[in-house]
Amino acid sequence: MKVLVTGASGYIGNRLVLAARSRGYEVIAATRRPVSAVGDWIAFDLVATGAIELPAGTNAVFHLAADTTSRLIDSETEAASARRLIAAARQAGARFVFVSSQTALEHAPSAYGRTKWRIEQLVLAAGGTVIRPGQVYGGDERGLFGTLVRAMRALPFFPAFLPAPQIQPIHVDDLASALLHCVESDELTSAVFCVGEPEPVSFTRFLRLIAAERVGRFRLPIPVPVVLVRLLGLGIGRQLRAKLGFDRLGSLFDLRAMQTEADLRRLGITLRPMVSGLSRSGNDRRRMLIGEARAFLRYVLKERPTAILISRYVRCIERERGGQPLALSSFAHCFPVTLALLDRARPNVNLAQAEFVWRLNAAVVLAEATVQGARRFLAIGESSGLVTSIVQIARALTSELGWRVVRIIASPVLKSLMCDQGRPR
Amino acid sequence: MSNGFDVIIVGSGPGGVSSAFPLVQAGLQVLLVDGGREMALKSPVKTYLTSRGEDETQWHWMVGRDYHALHHVDAVSPKLRVPMLAPVFEGYSAANQIHASTFVAVGSLAQGGLSNAWGCGVARLSSEELRDYPFPASEIEPSYETVTRRMGVSGAVDDDLSDYFGLDGWTDPPIKMDTLHRRLWHAYGKNRSALSAFGVRMGRSRVAALEQDRGERHACDLSGNCLWGCHRRALYSATDDLEQLQRYPNFTYRSGFVVDRVVRSGEHPAVVGSDQSGTEAIKARKVVLAAGTLATTRLALQALQMAGPVAMQNCPTAAFLLWLPGALGIRREPAFGLGQLSFALALAPGVSGFGSLFNPTGIPLAEFVRYMPLGRRYAIDILKALMSSCVVGNVFLPGRYSTATLSMTHAGVLQVAGGYHPDVAPFMSLAERRLRSAFWKLGAVLLPKSFTIGHPGSDIHYASSLPMRSQPGPGQTNARGELYGLADVYVADGASLTSLSEKSHTLTIMANADRIGRGLLKDLSESQ
Ligand SMILES: Cc1cc2nc3c(=O)[nH]c(=O)nc-3n(C[C@H](O)[C@H](O)[C@H](O)COP(=O)(O)OP(=O)(O)OC[C@H]3O[C@@H](n4cnc5c(N)ncnc54)[C@H](O)[C@@H]3O)c2cc1C
Repeated sequence: MKVLVTGASGYIGNRLVLAARSRGYEVIAATRRPVSAVGDWIAFDLVATGAIELPAGTNAVFHLAADTTSRLIDSETEAASARRLIAAARQAGARFVFVSSQTALEHAPSAYGRTKWRIEQLVLAAGGTVIRPGQVYGGDERGLFGTLVRAMRALPFFPAFLPAPQIQPIHVDDLASALLHCVESDELTSAVFCVGEPEPVSFTRFLRLIAAERVGRFRLPIPVPVVLVRLLGLGIGRQLRAKLGFDRLGSLFDLRAMQTEADLRRLGITLRPMVSGLSRSGNDRRRMLIGEARAFLRYVLKERPTAILISRYVRCIERERGGQPLALSSFAHCFPVTLALLDRARPNVNLAQAEFVWRLNAAVVLAEATVQGARRFLAIGESSGLVTSIVQIARALTSELGWRVVRIIASPVLKSLMCDQGRPR
Repeated sequence: MSNGFDVIIVGSGPGGVSSAFPLVQAGLQVLLVDGGREMALKSPVKTYLTSRGEDETQWHWMVGRDYHALHHVDAVSPKLRVPMLAPVFEGYSAANQIHASTFVAVGSLAQGGLSNAWGCGVARLSSEELRDYPFPASEIEPSYETVTRRMGVSGAVDDDLSDYFGLDGWTDPPIKMDTLHRRLWHAYGKNRSALSAFGVRMGRSRVAALEQDRGERHACDLSGNCLWGCHRRALYSATDDLEQLQRYPNFTYRSGFVVDRVVRSGEHPAVVGSDQSGTEAIKARKVVLAAGTLATTRLALQALQMAGPVAMQNCPTAAFLLWLPGALGIRREPAFGLGQLSFALALAPGVSGFGSLFNPTGIPLAEFVRYMPLGRRYAIDILKALMSSCVVGNVFLPGRYSTATLSMTHAGVLQVAGGYHPDVAPFMSLAERRLRSAFWKLGAVLLPKSFTIGHPGSDIHYASSLPMRSQPGPGQTNARGELYGLADVYVADGASLTSLSEKSHTLTIMANADRIGRGLLKDLSESQ
């Protein structure tokens, strides 16, 4: 697949490019200046007026470029450039995905929100897809997220607005997955998709989490009434207001909650918990789930599972079971054969037994349906024969018996051995 | 209100299409409607073992990209986990407002109905078994012949079940057996009398699977894809007949029209249903219901404003694993995946069971791992070594041992309650013992603990909820299949069978539907 990304050097664009490339896509950055990290580049400027021509064979266009400061470009110019881009995508037969904003609204208080709304209409009219993300966070310290992290690092306190705005965060990489899904799925129709935590969280809690999980410091919340901020905003005049970011703060106070649950499901993504999203690697959950996949599949296959099978298991758990890893100990991760201690054991271990059984069965089903699994399950390409079979059966029975004995002996420590009790479940 | 049809048939399964042929061939204007679901995936082309060894995308058809196989872990039949067959089973209970509590209710909204997924086992009822039917056996005999010849059946050979199946005059020779079944068959030849002491008679299975090419359908090539979809179309499906019917100009097919009600409007019956274009009532001189026993019964009870309960029959069933120690370590070979050998099992005077044996190579091992009381890692080790010398078997008891009932709620929902007669448990354990002894004589071990009795309904043989009687009452049909209390509405699927034997019943549904079609022709010409 060949995809073009406007705003590829931005906070979201950058992560989108990485995600697309990790899936083997050819990525073309459409930015004002060449982006060193991305191979192909075409010039794209929101204020240019000439017709745009997409490179041959482009399958999809992600339109991320926007004037976030509302200082330089007026709404009309930005809409015009979107129009030209949409026309170019249509000419090339490419899908069009536009990253809008939670603030998008016909009569939004901010120019930013009004412009987004205008462009949304153009995109929808042309059969494209619109994504409205909530508060984007995680990954590099850029965008509003970067500003917040830096502020939290520098200051010993932070404002706890009263009443606290309710936000719906989404990790930048989860957003990138959602965007890619829009062009990968054959089923999605032209529509607006709202993505972000289905249950809004208060902005104060969000800042507190940044302090705890990212900055690793205690920060004192100072109550600040929202009315005060608004008054101040009125006082300093339009120019200064835009410059100091009061407009964006204003839109934070005016956020309307989005219904995201159904859209997330349609896009096939599960949001990572904020706690792991805020950690530097950003994918603690994923890492644990990959470890679980490796352990389960290795237990089943008796050899190292292929990378593709691991990611299939991970996707399966994300899609079907909510995506949280089981609390397996690192011992179990390192020595998958010890899963025999839990397999078919009485449910005396704290591992959400039914879920454990479901996943182990899923691992069997998924492992079997591979070329690797055909060898393991059907002996395809392996020697067979009477003696081999007898030996195999005898060995399996002995091992089973052996593990049963170990299970009995180890029963007092089984829990601490196999489960990670430090992690919240 | 649309008009101009002589007959409307609801359902394009084996029952529906079989009732259509005589009517269409006589030149009547026939409209056939069905739930319209179609298969989305393609059947594998290479042999099963080759695909398994080579196909990097095998999980698409084995599990499904939407993880279909993992959504139905509790279903009994592996077929309900096959991604390609998903459209066969989807949506039936919802569209037909069927609610089952203690019963596994399986049905289809597909073109061709459940025959897209069936096991192809066929048999004819003896005149003995037809005795409680309200017509002479000679009346249905030509229908048996017609449908058998049309669908293409193999398995004809002079063996101990020739009379039991009663089809050999119209069928092709059997499909080649695999090594395991050949061994059993050979041993049976030498031990017939010993087995008859256990009440067991064996023979080749008679199956609606092609041993010889027939038009666009091709003979079985032993590719072993029976579970996953036969790209050669060797297995009969009612869609084959549907194709034939569509060649007649007086036949109209409306797929995706889900019937919700049957009503009488003036002097004619009509069906009320809906498709994408909205709700519509279609009127005809006669209506034939063949939407599958459960859906048909709901339509009938609702039209009759009967709350029930009415009794339904279904066959108590069990499955088991049979091991041939002498074959331990043989290579897996490409094999036909449906019944290869069948048996009739006497259990008590007038009570017998029927079953078949299958090669399990085409069934995922995960299906068996689930039932093994061992750690999965070692269960796989054992099954990998063991399964190449195993066959799987099933057994059915007569439908009169079911205590299932159907009733209507005020809201128009069909409530299905399942259950078995108290005799089922002792009969099943007797069956297990007799089969174990009989197979032991053949050098095979019925594996301990493998004999599993299915939940009521998992047999998918549902019948006799609106039985044909010579003197019908409410909730019954007359000898021509016409519903008592609802003139001009006929029942041509399992619902109108007078009783359900332990034999495969679909051929009888089809023959009876053909018979009902012919009778309907007469009714129509008489009324003119
Ligand atoms: C896994 C499996 C194995 C089987 N093996 C065997 C076997 O070996 N031997 C045997 O004899 N039988 C077997 N059967 C049973 C066999 O498939 C059924 O007996 C047979 O298909 C019944 O035919 P039918 O025409 O009565 O109904 P169905 O095949 O169920 O067809 C019903 C039709 O009605 C339509 N329909 C349903 N509701 C509506 C509605 N509201 N409006 C309009 N149309 C509607 C559907 O689209 C469909 O066309 C098996 C079944 C399964 C699932």
